[in-house]
Amino acid sequence: MTHLATDLLVLHTLRCIGFAGTARIAATAGLSEADAESELIDLAVTGLVTHQAGEFGGWGLTASGRAADAERITGELEAAAARPALTAAFDGFLVLNPELLDLCTAWQLRSVDGVVVANDHSDQSYDDRVLDRFTDFHRRAVVVLDEISAALPRFGRYRFRLADALQRATCGASEYLTDDIASYHAVWAELHEDLLATLGIPR
Amino acid sequence: MRWIRRLSAETGETAEVVGGKAHGLVALHRLGLPVPAGFVVTAEACREYLRDGCLPDGLEDELRRAMSDLETATGRDFGGVRRPLAVSVRSGASVSMPGMMDTILNLGLTAESTAALAAETGDERFALSSRERFLAGFAAAIGDGRPIPDDAARQLALAVRTVFSSWDAPRAQTYRELHGIPHHLGTAVIVQAMVFGNRDDRSGTGVAFSRDPNTGANVPFGEVLFGRQGEEVVSGGSRTRPLRELADREPAVWAALLDALSRIEGHYRDACYVEFTFEAGVLWLLQARPGRFDGAAAVRLATDLVDERVIGRGEALLRVSPQHLRHVRTPRIVAGEADVLARGLGACPGVATGRVATTSDSAVRMAADGPVVLVRPETSPHDLRGLAAAAGIVTARGGPASHAAVVARAMGKPAVVGVADLVVDAGSVSAGGRTIGAGTLVTIDGTGGEVVLGDPGTVTPAADAHLRRLLGWADDVSGDHNGRTESERLGAAHAVLRGASGRRE
Repeated sequence: MTHLATDLLVLHTLRCIGFAGTARIAATAGLSEADAESELIDLAVTGLVTHQAGEFGGWGLTASGRAADAERITGELEAAAARPALTAAFDGFLVLNPELLDLCTAWQLRSVDGVVVANDHSDQSYDDRVLDRFTDFHRRAVVVLDEISAALPRFGRYRFRLADALQRATCGASEYLTDDIASYHAVWAELHEDLLATLGIPR
Repeated sequence: MRWIRRLSAETGETAEVVGGKAHGLVALHRLGLPVPAGFVVTAEACREYLRDGCLPDGLEDELRRAMSDLETATGRDFGGVRRPLAVSVRSGASVSMPGMMDTILNLGLTAESTAALAAETGDERFALSSRERFLAGFAAAIGDGRPIPDDAARQLALAVRTVFSSWDAPRAQTYRELHGIPHHLGTAVIVQAMVFGNRDDRSGTGVAFSRDPNTGANVPFGEVLFGRQGEEVVSGGSRTRPLRELADREPAVWAALLDALSRIEGHYRDACYVEFTFEAGVLWLLQARPGRFDGAAAVRLATDLVDERVIGRGEALLRVSPQHLRHVRTPRIVAGEADVLARGLGACPGVATGRVATTSDSAVRMAADGPVVLVRPETSPHDLRGLAAAAGIVTARGGPASHAAVVARAMGKPAVVGVADLVVDAGSVSAGGRTIGAGTLVTIDGTGGEVVLGDPGTVTPAADAHLRRLLGWADDVSGDHNGRTESERLGAAHAVLRGASGRRE
């Protein structure tokens, strides 16, 4: 996420991905783990984030962290006078969103003899067909992703992360479609959350 | 007429020409059941439109003539200032593509016609809300911000073009690629006189199965929404009520519906599904098709139909796909005694029992002391750790392709989504008029979509008496009584039956 102060970058990453460990925050924000951790500790000192131990532990925003992010990220949007362009690009995103969810579902489930069953991935030709559609979808998504990052350049990282997930899936790591924490579906959902958060649209 | 067929008992066209939905409507006409008057524009016209980018020669003339016939049939005036006629415009391809194409309701409600409808019914609010719904729905379907003409005939031509175009929407194309449906088919368009489910408190809309699709039991099953219009039930966005409530509130509608379900079953020789609307206490049917049950419900249905002498054993065996039986070892809730709090769509099979948590934070906290069921309005990336900590997931909104459903399947956790009347508050969950606190023990069934109180215990359908009977018939047919999986036993019978009738798999 270029063009954001590092503290806001880390804060906003947490706003979009929810509770997470240092490694995932760093990977999402495109920072080294050491840099990310240093920022997280500073943010914790000012009461904007909090750390929990335990099996599902990690870093999360406090209520004041959420408020601070909303204020600063709105400031960024207005300073760049990007609201009209981002709103228009978000409309394009919303057209694509149900199709992406259809595709993820088609990867996980398939209709056999009129019955929807779990896709056991034993039919290579079906899986190839779904993967082809992901690739075709991505070609069209790139147009919208470019509109989004033209409005606010920090969104450019999503295009990179989505392309990376698709590339891995195409090379056989199919968990990067729907299952991995960095899967196409997961990154897409984070982008959705980021657009809502940036435009101030409640879920 | 070349491009248009009137919908009636005499319509002698195949589903390839008029589409599956219109074909079902013709069957309803033949059964003498109440269907709003209407006509269908053929899929061939759609193919011409998609090829040339404009409506085929003569279609606009035919639309005018068909509308004039519809005016005569209904005694109403399309776009008129007295007794105005409003219509629905729906897609209807020869293959099912649920939710992929556009539907436009209340078309023809121009400013003048809306005033006329208000005067006729003495209910201005009803007329205005019908027009608002039309404008909003049509604008969403057109999609490019073009103004909607305030002329009924031009609205109709634009609506037909819009539904034709929706065949080629990228999402629809992807759906066809995934399901192996040819791109050249195109969709028919059905135009019917509107029936207003939002007319008054004796109106409404609903969907009904002739038998319970969760169990196959011979009890009508479905949902009804009082005082509302069609799309809202299918989309699940509003508060629906169990179908049975019709019996108390509108006994005449209920009786007519039961009669219709029974006659449609007789026609298909199978369980059936209908979409219906009732206006001022009068029932109308909008769609019908066979029920398409799966799993244990398909098995129960097939064996019951044999007992009812509707089909023979061979046909019963062929009606259940071996695929249906691949999951018969997946546990299900014991149905009989369970206290069902709510029903949604099963999104990932399996049963989970745990205490209700309404936030991801509390799910993580509570999971340290035992299994938790995370109940959310919907999920976002923020819920990932709650989803990871929970044994099962329930969401109020969303369908089988929602974020929660995709993530639950990725994690292999039982999930129920789209529980329409579920309300999630900070410390409690409400559904079906009951409220339970966070921490209450519930059990969810990700196959049937039930959310029940407490822990009713589980059973695997493999132990089901109906299935044992069906598999016994299968072994008699195949002559093989050796131990194999359920799916293999049925598959062997299919091979024999298909071979005997000269059909190939």
